[in-house]
Order: sequence, then C-alpha cells, then structure tokens
Amino acid sequence: MLGHRHSSLWHMILAPTVWAVHFCVVYGWTAVQCARAGGPDAARTGVLIATAVALMAIVVLGWKAWRQWDYLDDFDYVHDQPTTEHRREFLGHAGWLLAIVSAIGVGFNALPAVFIRSCL
Amino acid sequence: MSAARPGLLCAALLLSACSGEQSVLAPAGRDAEVLATLFWWMLGGAVVLWLLMNGLFFYVTRIRPQALSPRAAEALIIGGGIVFPTVVLAALLSFALSEMPKQREPGENLTVRITGESWWWRVDYLPEGSDTPIASANELRLPTGQRSELKLNASEVIHSFWIPALGGKTDMIPGRETRMSLEPTVPGDYRGQCAEFCGESHALMALAGVVMTPGDFAAWLEKEAAPAAIPTSAEALRGLAVFNAEGCGGCHAVRGTEAAGTVGPDLTHLGGRVTLAAGILPMERDALIRWIRDPEALKPGARMPGYDHLSDAELSALATYLEGLE
Ligand code: HEC
Ligand SMILES: [Cu+2]
Repeated sequence: MLGHRHSSLWHMILAPTVWAVHFCVVYGWTAVQCARAGGPDAARTGVLIATAVALMAIVVLGWKAWRQWDYLDDFDYVHDQPTTEHRREFLGHAGWLLAIVSAIGVGFNALPAVFIRSCL
Repeated sequence: MSAARPGLLCAALLLSACSGEQSVLAPAGRDAEVLATLFWWMLGGAVVLWLLMNGLFFYVTRIRPQALSPRAAEALIIGGGIVFPTVVLAALLSFALSEMPKQREPGENLTVRITGESWWWRVDYLPEGSDTPIASANELRLPTGQRSELKLNASEVIHSFWIPALGGKTDMIPGRETRMSLEPTVPGDYRGQCAEFCGESHALMALAGVVMTPGDFAAWLEKEAAPAAIPTSAEALRGLAVFNAEGCGGCHAVRGTEAAGTVGPDLTHLGGRVTLAAGILPMERDALIRWIRDPEALKPGARMPGYDHLSDAELSALATYLEGLE
C-alpha cells in the first residue's frame, strides 16, 4: 500500500506519523483516565508505555532510513540527480532527519508525565 | 539639563515598576519566587543568545567575511541548530515541569473560596473543621508559613485571579470550580487585579492581598468571624438608621443586624479593610461618601444605585457607621 521504501514518500514520513499518533494517544488517554477510570497513576503509566513503544518504533524507522541513505558508503550529502540511487538516498536522508525530530517531539510530549503525578 | 538626565529618568521609571505591591519581580511568596527565578533565567539566557547570535553575525560579516569549511558549517548547524536548542529547551521544560506539582499542591488548614462578581470579589474563608464560611469581600488575607487552598468561581462571566507578588494566575469560570494554592512568605500589603477582560469596569476590579504572620492572621480571622460592631456614637446610630431606611441591607449583609443581602459585598467588617470598592479607593470617609453618592461615576456599570438624594449630613452619618464596622 505504501509503495516501495526506496521510492515512497509515505515511508519517509512514517516517523512523524508515529509522533502524531503518540500525541493523540497521550492526550486522549490522559483525558479519559483523569475524567473517568484510572486516575493519575493509570494516566502516567499509559503515557510512559505509549512513549516507550513510540520511541522504539522511531528508532527502527530511523535505523532503516539511515541504512537507506547509506551515508557511510559513499558520503553522499546532496541528492539532486533524477536517478534511482539519488531518490533512494534522498528519501533515506530526509527520513532519518525526520526520525530525529520525531524522537525529540515524542520525548518532549512525555516529559509532563515524568514530572507531574496528578490529574489537576 | 545634560543629555544623560532623560536616560536616567527613563531607567528610574522602568525600574520603579520592578518593586512595589503588584510586581512579579518583587515576590513575597514561594510560588512567585519560582516565577521570578524562571523570568530572570529566561532573561539572562535571552541576553546571552542575543549576544552570541549578533556576535556571530558580526564575526562572519565584518571580521572574517569568507566561506566556512563544510566541516565547520556542518558542526555549526548540527551543534548550534539542533543539539544546543534541544538541550536548552529540554532543560527549561524539565525545570518548569518539576516546579509545577509544588504550585498545584493542595493547601492545608485554610480554604478560601473566591468568586469573581461583576467588578468585585466575594471572599469566603473556610478554616479547617468549620462548616460555616466566614463571608468577606474585596480583600484576601493569608497567613505566612503555610500553603492555603483557593477555590475559584465566577458568577456571570470569566475573570482571572492574580496577585502577582504571591503567585501565578488562574481563570475563574462560571459554573466550574478551578483551584490553586498560595504560600506567602513576607507579611505586607499587596495588590491583585482581575486578569481576564470581563466588561466595562474590568480595569477597576482590583483586590487587596494582605499577608500576615500566623498569630496575627488567627486573631484577625476570629474577629472577622464575629458579628458586626454595635454602633455607639449618636452619629453612627443615625448612619445605621439611614442604612436601614435606604434599604442597603437588601443587597448587603451586615452580620448581627437585619441586613442580610447577598447581591453586593458583605459589609460586616468593611471598616477593617484596606481598600474600598475592589481596590479602587482608600478606606476613608471621603471615599465612602463619594462612592455611596455616585458609584457609577467611580466605576462605570457598577451594580449599585447612587444615593445622591441623601443630604450631606446623612451621607456623613452613613460613612461614620460604615467606618465603625471594623
Ligand atoms: C442593588 C443592590 C445594592 C444596593 C441597594 C446597595 N448596594 Fe452597595 N454595593 C452593591 C454592589 C453590587 C457593590 C459592588 C460594586 C463593585 O465594586 O463593583 C456594592 C458596593 C458597596 C460598597 C463597597 C464595598 C467594599 O467591599 O468595598 C459599599 C461601602 C456599599 N456598597 C455601601 C452601600 C450603602 C451604604 C448602600 C445604601 C445606601 C448600598 N450600598 C446599597 C450593591 C448594592
Ligand atoms: Cu476582569
């Protein structure tokens, strides 16, 4: 569905997608737990678990993107040719950078759950 | 006048805003201290960053206007553009978040329920273990050495409760109770101000914040809980008669008398407050007379009728009576 990794834009934005889903899950989960069931501890545990899962997914995606870029192979930094190789490297390069941003975003999202133990 | 004078004057004017009864930068409570600390760190950081950025700019345009090596450029972009801001933001966020639970901690011993009304504050004290609130208005007194709980409400529109010297601000929302807690440290008189636009006299909706030592506070609260002083002088008794004849008690309560209205502020211990009409006037005879004669002139839209049909003698007697309600 997403096309091949080496030529698909969808693969490039998978890490930010994980970040976006994590964001929604964290907000939704916290709201539900604080308004109804569980309370602060359940909210916190859920957020930390969701964060661990999201970070693992982003690490895997980042690693795949890094391999796709294969920087250490040819130290190619600019990918401006209309060739299969350049397309593959460009998508890998961009995907790798997006994975880094996504990991930072997910981490910042989870920080309140680390420090705050109440629902207020 | 030398050229330096206006500059000095400006600096003095600017700095004079940093101290005083309503300043975030002159904290008198734990919560405000945290906010002031955060502010100074942010300011310091911003100044350092500004100097660094402009220094760099100066360096690359004036001192060494030539291309950087790709390695150096890359180090600058990754180091200065990704690693540095991420670390700084993470540190700031962590510090701010680590301070938040303390500010949200529940109060102990004393709960005060404050309701934002149209252009004044209803203030009810609920000491630990008592179930009848002690009604007051337009003034929040708190003891040092403990964290007091504030429960915030609003009657018609949104207001926001804020005494900058004591802590942060919290919105007051009709039909929904919000809360905060304050731990004042320095006894003194402070000033709060409604911080959410709420109508024509929003700017005239202030609040006196009085911080007292625990001993003084306990004595004050005991007095505040008692019924109103019984007027003794002939003048004050005449004032009471005017008060009753004019029907002030339909809107105002004076505990211990038949006046039991709840539309306006409780006046039981009005004379003991430091300000009049939600922080806009001093608690003095002249101000009382001016207020009763024509509230509209002092506070547009005030929900109290004017009594300009009363004679000077009647107004004066009223003022004596009200001043005596300490
Ligand atoms: C229709 C109701 C109403 C009547 C009648 C009324 N008041 Fe008021 N009064 C109010 C309201 C409302 C406020 C608060 C106004 C504000 O600050 O926005 C107020 C404020 C005051 C204050 C200032 C209280 C404070 O905490 O600083 C005084 C003093 C006062 N009234 C005295 C009187 C006297 C004396 C009379 C009779 C001559 C009177 N009022 C009649 C509604 C009323
Ligand atoms: Cu307001």
